[in-house]
Amino acid sequence: MNTGQYISGAGHLALIGWALLGGVFTAEPLPFEVTEVTAISSQEYAALIAPQHSPDAVSEVVTPQAPDPEDNPPDIAATPDATPEQVEPEAADPVTPDDAPDVAELAPLPEAEVSDAPPEIQPPSEDLAALTPDLSPRPQPRPVERVAPEPVAQPDPDVRIDDVDQSESTPDEAAETPREETDETAREEATTEIVTEADDPSDAAPSSSLRPKTRPQRRQPAEQPTETAQSNDNAVNAALAEALGENGGETQQQPIRSSGTLSQSAKTGFLRQIRGCWNVGSASTAVLNTKVTLAFSMGRDGQVNIGSIAMISFEGGSRSDADIATRIAKSALIRCQNAEGRSGYEMPADKYDQWRNVELRFNPDKMRQR
Amino acid sequence: MKRILTLLIASVLWAAPFSALSTAAQEPLRLELDEGIFEPLPFAVPDFVADNGAGAEFGRKIAQVISDDLTGTGLFRQISKDAFISQITSFSSPVQFADWKAINAQALISGAVSVDDTGKLVVRFRIYDVYADQELGQGLQLVGTQDGWRRIAHKVADQVYSRITGEGGYFDSRVVFVAESGPKDNRQKRLAIMDYDGAGVKYLTDSSALVLAPRFSPTGDRVLYTSYETGFPKIYVLDVASVGRRPLESQDGTMSFAPRFAPDGRTVVFSLTKGGNTDLFRMNIDGGGTERLTVTPSIETAPSFSPDGSQIVFESDRSGSPQLYIMSASGGEARRISNGQGRYGTPVWSPRGDLIAFTKQSKGRFHIGVMRVDGSEERLLTASFLDEGPTWSPNGRVIMFTRETQGAAGRSSLYSVDITGRNLRQVTTTTGASDPAWSPLQK
Repeated sequence: MNTGQYISGAGHLALIGWALLGGVFTAEPLPFEVTEVTAISSQEYAALIAPQHSPDAVSEVVTPQAPDPEDNPPDIAATPDATPEQVEPEAADPVTPDDAPDVAELAPLPEAEVSDAPPEIQPPSEDLAALTPDLSPRPQPRPVERVAPEPVAQPDPDVRIDDVDQSESTPDEAAETPREETDETAREEATTEIVTEADDPSDAAPSSSLRPKTRPQRRQPAEQPTETAQSNDNAVNAALAEALGENGGETQQQPIRSSGTLSQSAKTGFLRQIRGCWNVGSASTAVLNTKVTLAFSMGRDGQVNIGSIAMISFEGGSRSDADIATRIAKSALIRCQNAEGRSGYEMPADKYDQWRNVELRFNPDKMRQR
Repeated sequence: MKRILTLLIASVLWAAPFSALSTAAQEPLRLELDEGIFEPLPFAVPDFVADNGAGAEFGRKIAQVISDDLTGTGLFRQISKDAFISQITSFSSPVQFADWKAINAQALISGAVSVDDTGKLVVRFRIYDVYADQELGQGLQLVGTQDGWRRIAHKVADQVYSRITGEGGYFDSRVVFVAESGPKDNRQKRLAIMDYDGAGVKYLTDSSALVLAPRFSPTGDRVLYTSYETGFPKIYVLDVASVGRRPLESQDGTMSFAPRFAPDGRTVVFSLTKGGNTDLFRMNIDGGGTERLTVTPSIETAPSFSPDGSQIVFESDRSGSPQLYIMSASGGEARRISNGQGRYGTPVWSPRGDLIAFTKQSKGRFHIGVMRVDGSEERLLTASFLDEGPTWSPNGRVIMFTRETQGAAGRSSLYSVDITGRNLRQVTTTTGASDPAWSPLQK
């Protein structure tokens, strides 16, 4: 190893050692003055030296926009909707039907000893019923409870409803024969056919009117060869019918099936006396399909021998339907013989032999079609 | 010999005119009466006599129910008790017919009521044909619970009705319907059941789901109805006694509605909508195969069986507008029976089998009507802003239906009408009511 390298190494060691340990031997620094300064930017400095300006006036102010309702958060604290009322179904127990009652037949009662005097009914003084007026070409029946062969106008509300029409009468003391005091009565309102709600005449107003027709053509005079005699006959027949009190049109349209030599007016009159009591309003449709023929005998006073009434035939229904139809017909015969002030049916006494025994067929066909 | 023969011939010739005269005299007068009157039959029903103290409270009430039942038919008219000349003080006393004739009572119902040792209510009654001076049939005795006094009264009224008119009654029956409450735009609906006259309402379901079109089984113990419980119409069957219910089998993605029992009570016919097309199907009530009855691109609905179960009447718009058709109960070709102007729907076959009731819309109005099975003799019985959904009484004499009034405050109510078109009246219910279905007579 050469000497130069030893010297270099020693020199480096000395230098390193001085660098590490040299401060120990350093003297205290000399005292000096310190002045505080503030560092500012150029903009701050310019602002400091610039002249003071008043603030500019703002000419336009932006109007604030109304908040979008959807932007609002939901009100969580709001009261919840009321839940719909839900009724719990009731338990099955009360729905269970009641026990069906036991049914047993009862023994018939002993017959009563009663005096069966028919009620006295004053004869009508005059016919108060007002027929459907002929003013309207197409009269519309009103829906009323009673359906009868002849329409009856609505009676005065103060008038008592009865089987007959009767005017009020007061005692006349000056009269030779004292007159009894009677109330005014009238028959119940009736129409000739059933009127349903769908047939209500209040809805029958026309929605349009017909165009007026052109003038009709003049008719050629019809030939009238030999009808004069026939028309005379018709006129005579009509006059006769009117004189006999027949309802001409009705009788001609629906001739009564009959036998015997009793006059037509007597037969029609007899039927007219009964029909007001033949009430099929409570009959079933099956009973209304059943025709029954009753045979009975009558006394000279026009009273029906009730014990003689018997059904001799029926058609159109079952036996039970015929039994009910018979009961209705029999009830009509019994009730009407003393109705409207009668005491027995009014029949020609001199022809008693011809109406002593009667076979009367009750045919409800026309009633069913109403 | 010749002389004797001559005398014999002479005597015969001499007697002949007298014999002819005699025959003529005995020939009866033969006539035919074809016109009468049509009005309610007047009847009297005095308070039932109390046989003992416990029965006293029932005498007047039972008589009142009987009277209401009969008067409500429109076929009978009650005579006021104020007009009575006789009073029934003993059930076993003879009837003074003259007193009842004097007030024109054509039928008289007398009865007695008591409570026996076991607490049962005992009711006896007799019906009299006043003008025939005789009893109408035999007297009957009914025994039941005291709570069931209304049913006993209805049964008495059924007997009276049946004996006088000749057809079965309908008073001891019930009606299932949809009870409605709340405003029109938020209406709550639930199934309810009541007596035919509106008494004794019970609810069968709650109002959590929309319910429609309940239908009784032939025995009256079960009810079919449509519910929107799942959001889609689906058919349920409900046991009336237990109020238990279960859905009928159905396929996913289908809607089933308008169910109706077959007369055998085992099968059900209904409408099913699948893929936008509605046809009629039938299935066993206890499950099993579903049989398709119609195959058309139109809407077929509202099926109803004939009483013998052999045919079905239904509503279809296959001709362009809703009309009524009849086909075999096993399907096949259908024939149209409605031929009038307007739209027809909700047909229901009468229990008697002779008529079909329906709803008709024509000229802006709704009607309830009836027609023969072949479509003839159509008669409209009602007319209003909205009438629909007829149902028959057990005896086929009366039709009940829904009537809704116009406007936002419109309310649904039940009405009934006689098949003659008479006696239109509202059935009393405490809430709004729709979709009535009449039960058979109770046993």
